[in-house]
Amino acid sequence: MQQAVGGSEAVVTTLGPSPMLRCEGLRKRYGDRLAVDGVTFSIAEGECYGLLGPNGAGKTTTISMLCGLAVPDEGDITVDGFEGGTLEAKAAVGYVPQDLALYPDLSAVENLTFFGQLYRLSGKELQTRIGETLELVGLADRGKDRIGTYSGGMKRRANMAAGLLHRPKLLVLDEPTVGVDPQSRNAILETVGKLGIAVLYTTHYMEEAFKLCDRIGIIDDGHLIAEGTADALIGDHGGRDKVHLSCDGADLDELAAACRELENIHDVHEVDGNLELSTDHGPAVLSAVVAVATRHGVDLTGVEVRSPNLEDVFLSLTGKELRD
Amino acid sequence: MIRVIALNELRRRLRDRSVLIGCLAAPLLMAAVLGISFAGAASTVAVRVGVSGASPALMAAAEQASQLPHGVTVVAMPSQAAVKAAVAGGTLDGGVAVLPGQMQLSSLLVPIVDPGASHTPGFDVVTRGTSQLGQEYAESMAAGISSVLYADKVPHHVTAHPATVAITTQSVGHGGKVNLNFFAPNIAVVFLFIGSGLGMRSLLMERSAGTLARITAAPLRPTQIVLGKLLAIFVTGLVTIFVIWAVTTFAFGANWGDPLGVLLMCVGATVAMCGIGVFLTSLAKTEQQAFGITMLVGLFLALLGGNLLPSGSLPDVFQVLALGTPNGWALVGFGRLDQLGEPASSVIGPFFVLLAIALVTGGLALTRVRKMVEP
Ligand SMILES: Nc1ncnc2c1ncn2[C@@H]1O[C@H](COP(=O)(O)OP(=O)(O)OP(=O)(O)O)[C@@H](O)[C@H]1O
Ligand SMILES: [Mg+2]
Repeated sequence: MQQAVGGSEAVVTTLGPSPMLRCEGLRKRYGDRLAVDGVTFSIAEGECYGLLGPNGAGKTTTISMLCGLAVPDEGDITVDGFEGGTLEAKAAVGYVPQDLALYPDLSAVENLTFFGQLYRLSGKELQTRIGETLELVGLADRGKDRIGTYSGGMKRRANMAAGLLHRPKLLVLDEPTVGVDPQSRNAILETVGKLGIAVLYTTHYMEEAFKLCDRIGIIDDGHLIAEGTADALIGDHGGRDKVHLSCDGADLDELAAACRELENIHDVHEVDGNLELSTDHGPAVLSAVVAVATRHGVDLTGVEVRSPNLEDVFLSLTGKELRD
Repeated sequence: MIRVIALNELRRRLRDRSVLIGCLAAPLLMAAVLGISFAGAASTVAVRVGVSGASPALMAAAEQASQLPHGVTVVAMPSQAAVKAAVAGGTLDGGVAVLPGQMQLSSLLVPIVDPGASHTPGFDVVTRGTSQLGQEYAESMAAGISSVLYADKVPHHVTAHPATVAITTQSVGHGGKVNLNFFAPNIAVVFLFIGSGLGMRSLLMERSAGTLARITAAPLRPTQIVLGKLLAIFVTGLVTIFVIWAVTTFAFGANWGDPLGVLLMCVGATVAMCGIGVFLTSLAKTEQQAFGITMLVGLFLALLGGNLLPSGSLPDVFQVLALGTPNGWALVGFGRLDQLGEPASSVIGPFFVLLAIALVTGGLALTRVRKMVEP
């Protein structure tokens, strides 16, 4: 499933014959900074694809090119079979920008009316869609209020409504949950979860990508450095489970040596006066580890098992923390 | 699509009070202030003008011909000396001594064509430096008398009625005589520029707010977006000038002249001022710059074009410079209608000049603004 990015034959194995979105070798330069450098990925119909990366990784730049807001210096984009940037491609995309892009002086309904008209919706159909979409994002009762009077989370939801109104085949969400309260955040995630259309979701919250996305691409410094399902990425790059033993003032050397003797323990090292063990399956070794500690008269004040996550994947791939 | 963009822009303008103030409230206020001050000057200030050497019949005809406003009283004086004494003494605000012996048919036209020329053969317009209105109405009386005399001396089929000769009682470009008819369209022209600058500023604000990018992501061509925005700016401008026209006319009794001509000039002035306004502000990189350009260039063009001070009161070189500005051409066109009372056909020239200015600056503006919208 998971593959190193760059091998284009690997991409083909993951995708159906006609993906909703296909980007190949995207490159974008701003001055002498390569914001996006050779990004290739595809999204199948109905698939939720997460683009996970830190600040400045090139997520927004990639999205701008997909939505026809920026012209790639190199590379090809196809949306629903149409060349990126054409009116047909634009019509197929629902773009939800990172920053609020609605008119604060107008109400949600007025904003949606305008954006709906831009996508050639009108009359009764437009009115129905506006009602449905506001319902979907949980703003049905605030539709008549000006966007300027909304809370931050409500603004984000309204922003998303503007991208969903014309029922796009591909929804592009640029960090829709940044700076959003947990309630709105859940509402947004829930909405995206039940859409069933192709979604490109950028975020630097690994939990979101993990929960929401069928596949995840990890982007850093303009490069897509890995791609696959969350499980595959973690399996391949996340490393092993960690068992953390807090042991106050004990003789660690002796305990460490004893732990190394245990089966399925790959590595033992000291961290700040405590021990950390690497293992393939943390819970399985736990009882043996505790028994060894007891035998050596070490008083364990805490035991913690931690499975690897996407954060570890990023760390192992780049040597950097995802969030700085 | 262009209509959708334009309507959205207009709706937002109506909501956004700052633009509403710049495009409607401020010019209206200006029109009201001007209206009250000029309308008031004519009705409340009493001006006495003395005339010597003219028969009562001639005086009555001249009074009618020179269309003096209410509040101006014309009194008969026994002699040139008496006129001079009364004006100097302050019992009269101005006076005209008619000197029939020195009068020639050819020179009779001088006071009509050039009311500022006070010592013409046959007339001595007596003024006191401190009474601007006295001088103005004395000159008007001189023009009125000469037009009546002239009408008497030429065959009647040429000048059917004395009043048709003496159409101008106050004139642009001579001695700084100004009135509401002059100021109302000129102020409107200045606000057209400011309004279009504010429109562009709103576009720059949309760019920094991200809504412009959001619109660009929708399936429409950059040209449609730009034309929609420009259409909104044009409509706002047209509404501005029409409102000023209506308010000064109906509330303050101004007369802009032949309505068809005014209509033509309103459209011409609006396209030209919008073209140049949008082009100049499109050179700005930020909203603040756009605002600065709007105010500074707007004022500069207004001064140069003679919208604020009649260019006639400035050296001749300014009158030439004025014709390098759309403001100057608007002034020429509106002046022909409201000051000279000429028919609509007289503004076709200025209208086409304004149209040409609009085409050039509008074309440049279009390409500049397209750059803002294109990916
Ligand atoms: N219009 C621009 N002009 C110049 N440089 C730009 C521009 N847009 C982006 N960049 C640069 O390109 C790089 C990638 O930026 P981008 O906005 O795509 O990052 P991002 O992954 O979306 O980050 P974030 O999570 O902070 O939104 C950054 O170094 C940024 O400074
Ligand atoms: Mg971004």
